[in-house]
Amino acid sequence: MFLMPRRLGVLLALLPLLVLAACTSSSEESPTQVTDDLDRTMSLDRPIERVVSLAPSVTELVYAAGAGSTLVAVTTSDDYPPAVDTLPQVSALPVDFEAVASHEPDLILATDQINSPGDTDTFEALDLPVYFFSFSSVDDILEGLRTTGGLLGTEQAAADSVQALEAHIETLRTRAEAIPTEDRPRVLVLVGDETLYSFGRGSYIHTLVELAGGRSITADLDTQAPTLSDEYVLTEKPDVIIGAWGEDYDPSRLLDFHPTWDVVPAVQNDRVFSLPPGLLLRPTPRVIDGAQRMFHLLHPSRGSTSSSLRGPSSNHVTSRSLRSGTRS
Amino acid sequence: MRRPWIVGLGLTATLIVTIGAAVSIGSVSTGWTDVYRVLAHHLLGIGPAPEPTLDRIVWRLRLPRAVLACIVGGGLSIIGVAMQTLVRNPLAEPYILGISSGASAGASLFYLGFLPPLLSKALTMPVAAFLGGLVSITIVYLVARDGSYVSVARLLLAGVAMSALMASITSFVTFSSPEPDKLRAVLFWLLGSLSGAQWSLLPLPALTTAFGLGVLVVLARPLDAMLVGEEPAQSLGMPVEALKRGLIVLAALVTGTLVAVSGSIGFVGLIVPHAVRLLVGVPHRRLVPLSFVTGAIFLCWADLAARTVLSGQELPVGILTALCGVPFFLALLRQRSYQFG
Repeated sequence: MFLMPRRLGVLLALLPLLVLAACTSSSEESPTQVTDDLDRTMSLDRPIERVVSLAPSVTELVYAAGAGSTLVAVTTSDDYPPAVDTLPQVSALPVDFEAVASHEPDLILATDQINSPGDTDTFEALDLPVYFFSFSSVDDILEGLRTTGGLLGTEQAAADSVQALEAHIETLRTRAEAIPTEDRPRVLVLVGDETLYSFGRGSYIHTLVELAGGRSITADLDTQAPTLSDEYVLTEKPDVIIGAWGEDYDPSRLLDFHPTWDVVPAVQNDRVFSLPPGLLLRPTPRVIDGAQRMFHLLHPSRGSTSSSLRGPSSNHVTSRSLRSGTRS
Repeated sequence: MRRPWIVGLGLTATLIVTIGAAVSIGSVSTGWTDVYRVLAHHLLGIGPAPEPTLDRIVWRLRLPRAVLACIVGGGLSIIGVAMQTLVRNPLAEPYILGISSGASAGASLFYLGFLPPLLSKALTMPVAAFLGGLVSITIVYLVARDGSYVSVARLLLAGVAMSALMASITSFVTFSSPEPDKLRAVLFWLLGSLSGAQWSLLPLPALTTAFGLGVLVVLARPLDAMLVGEEPAQSLGMPVEALKRGLIVLAALVTGTLVAVSGSIGFVGLIVPHAVRLLVGVPHRRLVPLSFVTGAIFLCWADLAARTVLSGQELPVGILTALCGVPFFLALLRQRSYQFG
């Protein structure tokens, strides 16, 4: 009995240590230090449950990483996946800081393709962490998926998505590499139809053209986002022109804007095509679908042999994303 | 009196060389001999049919663009002369007096579907631009005039204010429209560009500018008298009020037609007449035609610089004319007792 006080004393003496230990074990979980693609380091409190996306591409990435349920607001330009229609919208260009803050996000996701890195100062002043992505290659998109999964606690779902995408890319690559170089058409990818915005050196778009069994003619231009001249297109003579003008586009409009192109092979052979902008302009997992659609446009005669290759791979993607969907 | 002829011949020769350079230089390098073979085939009907790609670059892209630059540069310059005579001050110019931005506002209102297409699209846009320019210059002129006297300070301030107002209208309607490429549209209307020139677009601006040139050459004597002063002109029996109104409408007509094809390009009408006056003096029968030729040369070179100075993209040509024109304008403004001639 007389030992009791001593034990109690020991316990009392240990109590601060125990409390301290409890504190440290919980602080292992939060906050964590992360560094984004702009080399900015920030500390995040886990778990992250409320996310505002400031770019449509980032929204798609969050869904693909199986973390769509964490989104509390997206931008006014968001249109994919359909689930975004029910989410509140904020203006991203320029950023409506008040609206973003009113959603009390744990984390804001942005990309330097759309958002201004200068906005980070304002967010820091508001004590809102913002993570910037930078995508210049297809690999960056895969890396972004993993990162998103890591940030939002859906590592496994994100890894599954990445694996499915890698398999899909591999299928496309094998198929494209089987095509002899002389059968790969010279492709011009355009963003605008009247003003000829295009893609220069270092863009992921050239990888997509390569996966589609084509050669992108603007891959070696020094400017990152060049505005091409009519003269350039006339002298480069692309075999195929692919625009991000949407599926309802009437290719004859292009000839109205550029009447001198009647001698360009793509125009002469009726090989001017348009794809939905979401499949080309947004660096998201959907660009791989864009590459696949492009393949069928570039190589219509190879469609039959490819469908056997495509079948299992697209099933693969569906089953994977279904699984990751249930997990999140 | 031989000097104006020498100047005239010299300028015409320079213009031909300038157009030659404008069709030979571009984002794609082409050989000079090939370029002139294309021109010889089309103009003189000699030589074999040129290679189709080169033919399109030289004959259907570069040459119409160079010709448009000549029309716009020459037209804006002679309107500059007319405006300077109207207010008897060398600082007047269609851009500074708000005609260009008024015309831009009118044209963009129509372009973006805020005004109904009354005639065909090709005609309604210049008409809308003409009306916009006319409204703008009328307001500026009414604000600045005080009896028969026009206050230069008020004129410039009213011009700047109207320009800002009209530019805001242009920007507002462009940003509020569903137009997908808003920034480009705003840049086109506010800073001007000669891209998209085609032969089929040229007849209307060419006719209007030729009409303006003809009218001003015919009116050379009354315009000379205007420079001396309105009262002396009136005492010579000239209908001064009618002449002034006519000049304002002509300025809005020519500027409006040019803005409809090229956006608002500033300061051409300021620099060019000034330079020409230094060479041949103030009489309008020399000043007007030589300003036309000099303006054509100036804008051709400005446009050549606009499409070659940055690789991979094109500048709006108005940026370059403003870079040249504003220092010039400030220097003129500083010279308090500027006299014509």
